[in-house]
Amino acid sequence: MKTVLQLIRKDYILFWHDKPAVSLTFVVPIFLIFLFGSIFSGVSSGPTGIDIAFINNSGAKVAKKLESVLDTTKAFHLVRKFRDDNGKIVPFDTNSIKEYVRKGSAVAALIIPKDAFTDTSMGLKLKFFYDPKNDMEMQMIEGILTQRVMTQMPSLFMTSMQHKAETYLGNNEGKNFNKKIAETVSKYFNVDTAQILHWTNFSFSDSSNIDSAAGKSNFFSNLLQLDKEQLVGKEISNPNATRSVGGWAMMFLLFTLTATSTSLFDENKSGVVLRILSSPISRVHILWGKYLYNFSLGCIQLLVMFFVGYLLFNINIFSNFFNLFLVIVAGALACTAFGMLLAAVSKTAAQANGLGTLLILTMSGIGGAWFPTFILPPFIQILSKFSLVYWAMEGFMNVLWRGSNTIEILPYVGVLIGIAAIVNVFSVIRFKKGNLF
Amino acid sequence: MISIKNVSKKFSGVTALDNISLEIQKKEIFGLLGPNGAGKSTLMNLLIGYLDADEGELVVAGEKVTRNNLESRKKIGLVPQSIALYDDISAQENLEIFGSFFGIRKSLLRALIAENLNRVELYDRRKDKVKGFSGGMKRRLNIAASLLHNPEILLCDEPTVGVDPQSRNAIFDYLEKLNEEGKTIIYTTHYMEEAERLCSRIAIIDHGKIIAAGTLDELLLMLPYEQTILINKNQLTEHKKDLFTKFGTLINDQEKYELKPNEKLKLSEFFKMMEDNSIGYNFIDVNKPSLEALFLHLTGRRLRD
Repeated sequence: MKTVLQLIRKDYILFWHDKPAVSLTFVVPIFLIFLFGSIFSGVSSGPTGIDIAFINNSGAKVAKKLESVLDTTKAFHLVRKFRDDNGKIVPFDTNSIKEYVRKGSAVAALIIPKDAFTDTSMGLKLKFFYDPKNDMEMQMIEGILTQRVMTQMPSLFMTSMQHKAETYLGNNEGKNFNKKIAETVSKYFNVDTAQILHWTNFSFSDSSNIDSAAGKSNFFSNLLQLDKEQLVGKEISNPNATRSVGGWAMMFLLFTLTATSTSLFDENKSGVVLRILSSPISRVHILWGKYLYNFSLGCIQLLVMFFVGYLLFNINIFSNFFNLFLVIVAGALACTAFGMLLAAVSKTAAQANGLGTLLILTMSGIGGAWFPTFILPPFIQILSKFSLVYWAMEGFMNVLWRGSNTIEILPYVGVLIGIAAIVNVFSVIRFKKGNLF
Repeated sequence: MISIKNVSKKFSGVTALDNISLEIQKKEIFGLLGPNGAGKSTLMNLLIGYLDADEGELVVAGEKVTRNNLESRKKIGLVPQSIALYDDISAQENLEIFGSFFGIRKSLLRALIAENLNRVELYDRRKDKVKGFSGGMKRRLNIAASLLHNPEILLCDEPTVGVDPQSRNAIFDYLEKLNEEGKTIIYTTHYMEEAERLCSRIAIIDHGKIIAAGTLDELLLMLPYEQTILINKNQLTEHKKDLFTKFGTLINDQEKYELKPNEKLKLSEFFKMMEDNSIGYNFIDVNKPSLEALFLHLTGRRLRD
């Protein structure tokens, strides 16, 4: 038994000194548990602050009430104005709100039209424009929107009907009408008149009445006319594959480029770097060679992935190929820089691979490669902006889903190239100070 | 051909080379002999421009050697201590890669590769992956990879580590042939036998300092004696070891006693003492002076301590 204990002790000593193994055993799973735990605990309380472009053209009280309800809905952030081409902040109109969604500034727009609820209306009309670039997100938005409207519908409708009766009959006539009806019912059914009047007296602000009217939901559900129009992606033949290909491609590209960058450690250990440096080649040449090799390999890998997507899932990569290629180039530059950074800050290949695995899974998780970022907790949504996976995915989505032109994808390409530039400068400084070679 | 003047190099405050000066002539096989950690590889790394010296100057074939001067590297071929080859590709592909760094035309490079593979007797295995080679074959290929650009100077940093005696001899023969063809060779080793066999001049290096330099004969003259007498250790000789001390200084080595004879030693008296004490002649051996003995004499340590 003592021998076995000694062997166990030996393995623990070796394990503890193997930092990548410790990292992969504890740090990576702890982070992933935290990430998934945050997401799934977040789902129960719902998403927050999703931008919905909004216009209320109706003067009806019902519409005003609905607007205030949506305004206080945690899941939504109603956007009523935008910056026009002249840089002025102006309210939306129907055309500009559609363009706003088309450009991807908001995933959906809701218009309460002028005739949303007229005197002759038997239901509420709403116009809903949407961009289902993220299927899950859109289903959730529609669900929450419908639920919020329908929850308010009974009280909205009854209040509106009372208001109409008062308008038509005058306030006293309305009350007299109610009283006479109640007296008639009381006479024939032997029920107290006051009780009948109480039953008919739905209050707009009394939430208990909303619940008491729940039994009437089947009737009221027919009263919501949601006029939906998909603005983007109608022509996409395989939306799910189109949405997901970019994220997965980026994640595997990061793994590939981490491995190729850390090959510098193996080459150094084997003496190959020394042999190369004994020829008329400088360290700068080696770094450039490795960087450009990784970059070209990254471009090839992404091109192959998208081409396979085209062959297997009919993802349309050719209609906007130039812009797709621009994002591929920018994404490959950023991923290459990431790989070189790992080589620059690590002391061994094992350390670089351990750190790489942690960072790649983290960036992929918070960057939207596995699930949409809107379901992440707010602070992780902020962090996701620091993930190159996020910017690459947004770039790919804009190209493949929205058919964005070169100007429109420049922000994403710019951020990716910016990340690459900053990371490269840091890596070069580290390489100069470090002892890799 | 190679001039090393007052060169010093430190790593994190530890002195690896301490004010080293050497002149190496054309067509020499110059040996750098010293124990592990003596500074041999550091000096090699300085000579190829892998490192910069903290002080002093190195000139190779008229070119000052620095990390930024890539020209001097064209005149040098380095055989690294480790087998600096890619295991997963063939011998030919390895040489194509390393040869391409010297800007050799493709057709010429192909011919040079064939020639060098032939010379190290690996031409028939040129398409085989290196990982399938024996240690000796890898070592030979390691040398061939350093010769594609036909350098004037070959730096061999312990090129026979882990090699069987037969392959070691083949490597020595090959290096001697290269030397006959005009190449200047610097050979580092901690095996005195290698330095004795190959090198026309030898520098002994220890703790970053050159403690002796010259031809083998010149070095051995530094010993205060010409020969030593080795006495096998056994019960008899151990019991009678005091008898030997009359004839010189007796050094108690691991398996033997080594007698450094007095200048006045008469062999007849020595053998008479042995006969009188029934110590058979088979217990003794005459040992020629060696670099090992010189190193021991100069440092008080063995080369492989």
